[in-house]
Amino acid sequence: MATAKHSPIRRDWLSKTLAGLVLGAVLALGGSGLFLQFSTDMPLSVRGQLAMWMVPPIWLGVLGGVFFFASGLRAWLWLGGTGALVLGALSALRLS
Amino acid sequence: MRSEFVRIYKAVHTWTGIIAGMALFIAFYAGALTVFKEPLARWASPPNAIRPVGLEDAQQLIVGTLATHPAAARDFTLYVQDAENVPARLGWHVRNPDADDHDDSQVRHYAATLDAHGAAQVEETHPSRLASFIDTLHRVVGLPADSDPNRWVMGVVAALYALALVSGVVVLLPSLVKDFFALRVGKNLKRMWLDAHNVVGIVSLPFHLVMALTAVVFAYHDGIYAVQDRLLHDGKWGTAFQRQRPAPGAAERDPATMLPPLEILARVREFSPGFEPTMLQYQQVGGPRAVVVRVWGKDAAAVSPRARGGFAAVDPYSGKVVGSDSLPGRQSTPNLFISSFFALHMAAFGGTPVQWMYFLLGLAGAWLFYSGNLLWVESRRKKQARQGGELPAQRLDVRLMAAATVGVCLGCVCGVSLAIVGSKWLHGLASDANAWLPALYYGAFFASIGWAFLRGAARASVHLLWLAATLTAAIPLTSLLAWSLPALGMWTHTSEASLGVDATALAGAAAFAWMARATARRVRSGAPDSVWSASGAQTRPEAGVPAAQAPR
Repeated sequence: MATAKHSPIRRDWLSKTLAGLVLGAVLALGGSGLFLQFSTDMPLSVRGQLAMWMVPPIWLGVLGGVFFFASGLRAWLWLGGTGALVLGALSALRLS
Repeated sequence: MRSEFVRIYKAVHTWTGIIAGMALFIAFYAGALTVFKEPLARWASPPNAIRPVGLEDAQQLIVGTLATHPAAARDFTLYVQDAENVPARLGWHVRNPDADDHDDSQVRHYAATLDAHGAAQVEETHPSRLASFIDTLHRVVGLPADSDPNRWVMGVVAALYALALVSGVVVLLPSLVKDFFALRVGKNLKRMWLDAHNVVGIVSLPFHLVMALTAVVFAYHDGIYAVQDRLLHDGKWGTAFQRQRPAPGAAERDPATMLPPLEILARVREFSPGFEPTMLQYQQVGGPRAVVVRVWGKDAAAVSPRARGGFAAVDPYSGKVVGSDSLPGRQSTPNLFISSFFALHMAAFGGTPVQWMYFLLGLAGAWLFYSGNLLWVESRRKKQARQGGELPAQRLDVRLMAAATVGVCLGCVCGVSLAIVGSKWLHGLASDANAWLPALYYGAFFASIGWAFLRGAARASVHLLWLAATLTAAIPLTSLLAWSLPALGMWTHTSEASLGVDATALAGAAAFAWMARATARRVRSGAPDSVWSASGAQTRPEAGVPAAQAPR
């Protein structure tokens, strides 16, 4: 891969924003699912609330950071890859 | 950091800020006042004509009321502390089942007292909705009703606000060390405003991050819960809060055998000595389910889960504290964590000093959005050539944005003050003063916007600031007038809370008057090549000549 030092940063407003919105939601929901898997010692009412509260910070955190990607394509690949990992880990945990 | 990132995030900051800025101004101005919702409600509450009942007679009041008004048994409140906005010792309300959960205008209120012979007497009351009207403006960024769609609009604004915070920090980061402690007061007014915008933004960043993220949650929690229920909880979320089911054949118990309220209060004080109870909320009395009394109150040394405090759940027959999940200072760590999100948004910790801090942070936040819009306007200013020459006409979109900013922001300030004043004046004049609150607020709000577009940002800003100062000064003047002329049929409460509203309004009026004078000076003798100049706002350059020569 070319080093980031010389490659120009593409703005890609639409694809980056969509990546942040869509994949941010996937990461936020997947992350809250992982949290639920690891917090079974808490009552459902409590861990369910905590899981809900963690969705907006993750979602908006991803959406806020997505413009640091060099291009919209990279944003989709990196965030999509991370999302696939999170969802994969989540379904593995839920099936086991 | 690469300068390209700064440019990209600057575009994000500009767009999110310009879209959300004015709505956020309203949310923050009304929100700062909502910190003192209770004092406002006390200030606006007419004097009480209902016969007082001592706490020692409260048990008789409860039993008598339930005997004649079974509808109260579902959920009624016994007030421990007396205040102007507490109509009677005992009260309950009935919601319109078709209305939104957050819609306070559809609620009917009832109050119960004991007559001279000890029999329960019930009457419908009409408490002032001023404080909840301002709270609603805060919750839904100035829209008229706290409904689902309006909250979703607020949620979008809050999400844009979160993006504006992130992008604003990214833009500032490379020069933070250089810019942070610098407030370059001087000839370059834009530089000074930018420095001030940066300092206020960075210093109150934690406060703003909390507000943005909690506001998004308040807007979308139902939706997030629904999605998580389907995908993660396998449809079991609804059972998480299920209350104890009635035991088969559970006998309905006689409310008269409940412990008297004073006894319940004593048990709670014993359980948590720092806790100061304010009211007892009885639920499902006489029903088949387990009766629970929520003893609401505050503990200044602890985190409260809600704006009005927290509660201990007590079994009124045994006096046992059956739940402390929501009791300030007695929560489990995960529950405390959840409560802290609410407390951090609603200033429900640390007592009055923290409330004042939030009030000031809220006003500073409102100023942050106002100054953000001003910077947008200033960045698009067309400068006059250095050697004089013809005065350039400012861009139309810049003039319109300046007028909209002035009209919306000052219109909100004027509308809120007018609604506060009107709530007292209209009490005797109109059959339902509450129904007039939206007309007063939106009347002043839209009139201000209209005036700002009609006269241009420069002139209108001075007029509207003087109007804001006048209307805000009318708050304590109304109290003074009501006190000196009782024939007017108004009232003046002398509690610390109520007089605090008057004093704060007086200080606010003085601040608006100072701003009006400073703005007038700039409009009159500031640089003419600006939308903030009475001459620059005009497209006819000759109009600038007398203004530029005006004596200071």
